[in-house]
Amino acid sequence: MKEVIAVVRINMMNQTKKALTDAGIAAFFAHECQGRGKGFVNPKILAGVDNGYEEAASVLGEKGKLYPKRMVTAVVEDAKVDDVVQAIIAVNKTGKPGDGKIFVLPVMDAVRVRTAEKGEIAIG
Amino acid sequence: MLMIRAIVRPEKSDEVLAALMDAGFPAVTKYSVAGRGKQRGIKIGDVTYDEIPKTMLMMVVKDEDKDFVIQTVMDTARTAGKGAFGDGKIFVSPVEEVYTVSSGVKEGQS
Repeated sequence: MKEVIAVVRINMMNQTKKALTDAGIAAFFAHECQGRGKGFVNPKILAGVDNGYEEAASVLGEKGKLYPKRMVTAVVEDAKVDDVVQAIIAVNKTGKPGDGKIFVLPVMDAVRVRTAEKGEIAIG
Repeated sequence: MLMIRAIVRPEKSDEVLAALMDAGFPAVTKYSVAGRGKQRGIKIGDVTYDEIPKTMLMMVVKDEDKDFVIQTVMDTARTAGKGAFGDGKIFVSPVEEVYTVSSGVKEGQS
């Protein structure tokens, strides 16, 4: 079992939900978060600062601005990890910085509270 | 790669984020959580508050950067330099794969 954590753009949630369903993952949870990545800036604005435009410098603002994102977490069987990751990448990829990251973590066990079933049955 | 999840005081999160940025670790995800620790919340008079608001900071770093990042978070999140109950916890878990969505590339193996 693996936990797939994807941090994606908020306006991509509908596509992401649909892609996960199509990939056979009905169960997941999502919550709001804020994040920052490598600290990209618009190269045009940066060039403006270099050329001495003070307006451009004020647009840049403080470094390390946090952007609103959605975090989607799904616990899936080992065999489905690649499908899920590729499905999320396929719908979220715009090619621009800020598309997000996907992390895959190991999960020791899962329990279905209703029936106390353990392991892969619980997430199936 | 390792995932470091730090639960810190909400009022300290800006300070921690600035310290991480200066230390060269810009990539962070933050979200609000509520919880209690082994002090069982805060008891004021007859009322016990056991869902105390905290901020969770999540970052994924290379194995060799783990100790440095933990130390940076610990130094800045501590109250008044010596620490107090409620300053938070830091958890470290393994991450097997990392993908960047914009390029679709799988990041380097740890």
